[in-house]
Amino acid sequence: MEQVIANGLYLGAQYALIALGLTLIFGLMNVLNFAHGQMYVLGGFITYTVYGQLGLPFPIAVLCSGLTLAIIGGFMERYLFRTVIRRSHREESTMLLAAATAFFFDAVMLLIFGEKQRGVPKIVKGVFNDYGIILPYDRIVVGAVAAAMILSFIAFMKYTKTGRAMRALAQDRVAAQLMGVEVDRYTMIGFAMGAMLAGVVGGLLVSITGVNSGIGGPISVKAFMMIMIGGAGVAGGAIAGGFILGMMESVGLTVLREYGDVTYLVIFAALMVFLSIRPNGLMGKPWG
Amino acid sequence: MPTLSRRALIGAASALALFAGAHAASAADANLKIGFVGVTSGPAAAWGTSNVRSMQTLAEWYNELGGVKIGDKTYTIEIVTFDDQKDPKRAVEGMEKMAQEGIHYVVGPNVDDGAAAVRPVAEKNGIIYFPYAFPKELYTAPASNAVLGMIANYQSGPAIYKYLMDNKGVKKVAFVAANESDPLSQRDSGVAAAKALGLEVVADKDTYQNDTRDFTPVLTPIVALKPDLLVLSGVAPANAPLLIRAARELGYEGLISTETAQDAKVLEEGAGELANGFISVGGASTPEIASDHMKEFVARYTKKFGEYNDESNTKVYVLDYILETMKANPKAIDNVDEFKKTIDTFEAPNPYLKDPDAKLKYVGSTSFGQKRQVAVPMVVNEYKDGKFETLFVGTVD
Amino acid sequence: MTKKIIGLLLFLIAVFVVAPWLIAATGRTDLYYVFTSVALLSIASAGVWLTFYIGRINIGQGAYALMGGYVSAILVMYYGWSFWWTLPVAGIFCAVASILIGVPILRLRGVYFAMVTLILTEVMRLLALAVPITNGAKGITSIPLPGPISLFGLALAPDFATLENPRIAFYYLSVVLMTVCFALMYRLVHSRIGHICLSLQQNEELASSIGVNIAALRVMAYAISSFLGGLAGAVFIGATQSIYPSSFTVTDSVNFMLNCFLGGLGYVFGPMLGTLVLYLGWNLLFSMEKYQLLIYSTAMIVLMLVLPNGLLSLGAKRKG
Repeated sequence: MEQVIANGLYLGAQYALIALGLTLIFGLMNVLNFAHGQMYVLGGFITYTVYGQLGLPFPIAVLCSGLTLAIIGGFMERYLFRTVIRRSHREESTMLLAAATAFFFDAVMLLIFGEKQRGVPKIVKGVFNDYGIILPYDRIVVGAVAAAMILSFIAFMKYTKTGRAMRALAQDRVAAQLMGVEVDRYTMIGFAMGAMLAGVVGGLLVSITGVNSGIGGPISVKAFMMIMIGGAGVAGGAIAGGFILGMMESVGLTVLREYGDVTYLVIFAALMVFLSIRPNGLMGKPWG
Repeated sequence: MPTLSRRALIGAASALALFAGAHAASAADANLKIGFVGVTSGPAAAWGTSNVRSMQTLAEWYNELGGVKIGDKTYTIEIVTFDDQKDPKRAVEGMEKMAQEGIHYVVGPNVDDGAAAVRPVAEKNGIIYFPYAFPKELYTAPASNAVLGMIANYQSGPAIYKYLMDNKGVKKVAFVAANESDPLSQRDSGVAAAKALGLEVVADKDTYQNDTRDFTPVLTPIVALKPDLLVLSGVAPANAPLLIRAARELGYEGLISTETAQDAKVLEEGAGELANGFISVGGASTPEIASDHMKEFVARYTKKFGEYNDESNTKVYVLDYILETMKANPKAIDNVDEFKKTIDTFEAPNPYLKDPDAKLKYVGSTSFGQKRQVAVPMVVNEYKDGKFETLFVGTVD
Repeated sequence: MTKKIIGLLLFLIAVFVVAPWLIAATGRTDLYYVFTSVALLSIASAGVWLTFYIGRINIGQGAYALMGGYVSAILVMYYGWSFWWTLPVAGIFCAVASILIGVPILRLRGVYFAMVTLILTEVMRLLALAVPITNGAKGITSIPLPGPISLFGLALAPDFATLENPRIAFYYLSVVLMTVCFALMYRLVHSRIGHICLSLQQNEELASSIGVNIAALRVMAYAISSFLGGLAGAVFIGATQSIYPSSFTVTDSVNFMLNCFLGGLGYVFGPMLGTLVLYLGWNLLFSMEKYQLLIYSTAMIVLMLVLPNGLLSLGAKRKG
C-alpha cells in the first residue's frame, strides 16, 4: 500500500504540473486549449533533441523547451486567439481554433520527428528501495522538481506584480481593466506562461516516459479532467485535481484489478457523479 | 437569404473541384496501382507508417530496376495510400476510394475494427486486402478476400510460451493489455493458449488506457504476484519500452514478451539495458538470417526516410506476395478470382532470407481452414543492447 | 418567404438530382459513401448544435451514436428485428438514456458540461468493452443489409441486399433523413420553444424568472439531440455492417462539435455545411499524402481567422 501511495503522489505531481498551464490559460481568457497536450509533446521533443541528440546538459534542454514554448505561446495568443476572440460572437468559438492548432502541431511534429516513440538516457541511475517503497531516483528528482515548480508558481502568482495582475484578470476582466491593468499585455504573458509550463513538463518527463508525436490529444483530454475535478481556472484546483486523479488511478488500478477491465470505467463514472454533485469542481469559478 | 446566389456559386465551385479528380485517375497502360488503407497519423501512426514506407521503398527500388514484368508487360508500381486515422468509418471510405481508383490489391487496415468494416466493400468490388488484424472470421469461409499479412498472436503465442516453458522454466504467466479491441482480443487468446499449455495464469484481467504514460501504477500489483513471464498483449511499440522500464524498476525479474513486432531503437531509447531479454516477434532483419536483398532493402529504406523501423521487417513481405502471385498468374492483375485460384499452389523463393530453401507461399489451413495468410518466417527475437538476436524461427501452416 | 422556398427547392434539387447525376456522369461511385457519411454525421452534429443552442457545449454525441449503433446491431443480430424498426428504437433508447444522464449533468455549465460529456464518450466505449451483450472487444460484425419495408402495401424501400449497389440506397436514405431532420430543426428553432431556448442561451436566470421551466426544456433539447445521435449511429452501423467499441470515439465527439463551430453556431444549417466542409476537406486532400493533416489544419486555422463565426456568417447578417 505504501507503494501505491508513492505511485499516486508521483503521478499526481506530474499531472498537477500539466494541469497548471492549462488552467492558467483558461482562467485568463476562457480558452480551453485543446493544443495543450501538443505543447507538452513539443517540449518533450525539444528536450529530446537538445539533451538526447546534441548531448547538452538536461537542465539546459528543459530550459530550451520552456523558452521555445513561451515564444510560441505568445505568438499564438497575439496573432490567433486575440483576433478570433475579438471577432467572434461566442467565446466558445476559440475551441475550433484551439483544435485546429492542435492538429497543426500534430502534423508538424509527425513530419519533423517521425512516428516513433523517442526517449533519452536516464538523468540519474539507480532505484530507491526501502520502507516498502520502490522508487527510481530519476522519478524522485522529477517529482521534486515538479513540486518545487508548483510552489514557485504559486509564489509567483501571489507575490509578483505580474502574478497579481493575472489573478486580477482571471477574477474579473472588466474590473481589472478599469483598475489600470494592461489586459492585452498580461493576457499574452499568461498564455506564454501556460505554454511554457506545458513545454517544461514535457521536457522533464521525456527523461522518464519518453515522447511520441501522437500523444498530444490524449494528454489534453487527461488534463481537462484534472482541471474539472479541481475546478477550472484556479491554480489550487488544478493542483488538487492532478493529485486526486493520480491517486485515483494508482489506488483504483490496485483495488479494482480483480473485477476485470473496469478500473477506468469506474474512475470515469465516479468523475461524472462527482461533477454532478459539485458542478464547479472542488474550487472552480461558479460560471465555469 | 440575400446571399443565396453567392453561396450557391461557392458551393458549385467546390462541387466542381470535388468531381474534377474523377478522370485524372485513369491509369496509364504500364502503371500498376497497389493500395494502402491504414493509419499513418495520430497515436498509432507507427503501424501504418512502417507499412507505407516499406511499400514505397520497394516500389521505388523495383521501378528503378525498370519496373515489374508480369506476363508480357512491364509495369511501373504506384502506391496509393489512404490514412484512415484508425477510424473504421474512414477505412470504409478509403476502401471505396481504392475501388474507385480501380485497385484490386490493398494492404491494410492495421486494426480489427477497420478490417471488419472494409470487408463488405472489398468483397463487393473485387478487392483482395491484406489486414494486419487477427479476427479469424475475416479469413475463414465464407470470407475469402482477406489475406492475413503477418503472423497472428494465437499462432506465435503458443510457440513462444512453449519455448519458454521448456527452456527457461516458466510456470506462472501474467497478462496485461490496453483496454482496446485488438489488445484485449489478443490477450484473451493468449490466456487461452497459456492455459492449454498447462501454465498457471496469475493475472488475466489487468488493463491500461492506451494513452497511459506512467505504467508504474498498472504494474505494481502485477509485479507483486511474481510471475515468471509477463506478456504484453498487443502492445503498441510506443508503450513497450515504458512498460518494460516500469516493470524492471519495480524489481520485476522474470521474463517479458509480446507477440507483436517491435523496434530496437525505440526500446533502446525508452528502456536502455532494462529491455535486455525482452522477447518479441520479428521478420527478417536479424543478421543471422537476413539475405543481402533484405540488407539492401533496409539500406534503401534508411536512405529514403532517414531512419529504419524494425516493424517493417514483418511488413516488407506483402507487396512481394502480391507481385509474385501476379507473376505466377498474370490474369490475376485485375481479377481476384484468378488470384484466389493461384493462392493454393503458389510458391516462390523468399528473397529476404539467407536460407535458399525459404519460400514465399500462402498458409493458414490450420487456423482458418483455407490458405489466407502469407507465410512470414516466425522469427522470435530477444532484444540485447540495441539489437535483436534470433531465439528461434518457427513456421505457420 | 419565396426566397426560403427557392432555397429549399435548390437544396432538394442539389441533393436528390444534381449530386447523383454528377456521380453518374463522372463515375465517382465512391462518393456515395462519402456523402452518406456527411449526411449522417451532419444529423448527429445537428443534435450537438441544438445543445449549443441552449447554451451547452456538448462533446458527448459520440456516446449516443455508439449507443444507437449498438442498439440497432444487437436488435438485428440477436433478436432478428428488421433494421427499419431498430432506427426509431435506437433513437428513443438514446433519448431515454440521455434524460437519465441529462437530469444530473445538465445543471453543469460551460466547460464543466463539456468535460462531463467528453468523459461520457469514453465511459460508453469502456461500457461497450465490458458489457457482455455487445460482444466486448470482438465487436459485432457481418450485420445483414436492411431488408425491404412497406407501409400499407406501399413499398418504401427495397431489400438492400438485392440491390446492385446498396450504397446508392443508403445515400438516399441518409439524405432523406438529413432533410427531414433539418426541416424539423428549422421548425423547432422558429417555434415559441425555440425562442425560449435562445433566451436560455443568453441568460438562464432571466428565462427562469419569467416562469419558464428551464430544467425541463434543457432536458428536452438534450433528449432530441441524443435521439439524433442515436439515429445517425444506427444508420451508420447499417451501412458499414459492423460495430466495435471504437466505432464512435472521443475524436468523433470532438468532430461533431467542430462541425457546428465551423458551420456557425448561429445558423440552423451550420452543422450541415460544417460537416460537409470538414469531412470533404480531409477527403479532398487525400492525394497530399503525408502533408494531408498539415494542409487540413492550416486551412482550418485560416478559416477561423477569417470567419470566426462560422462559414454561414459569410454575408448572412441574420439567422438563416
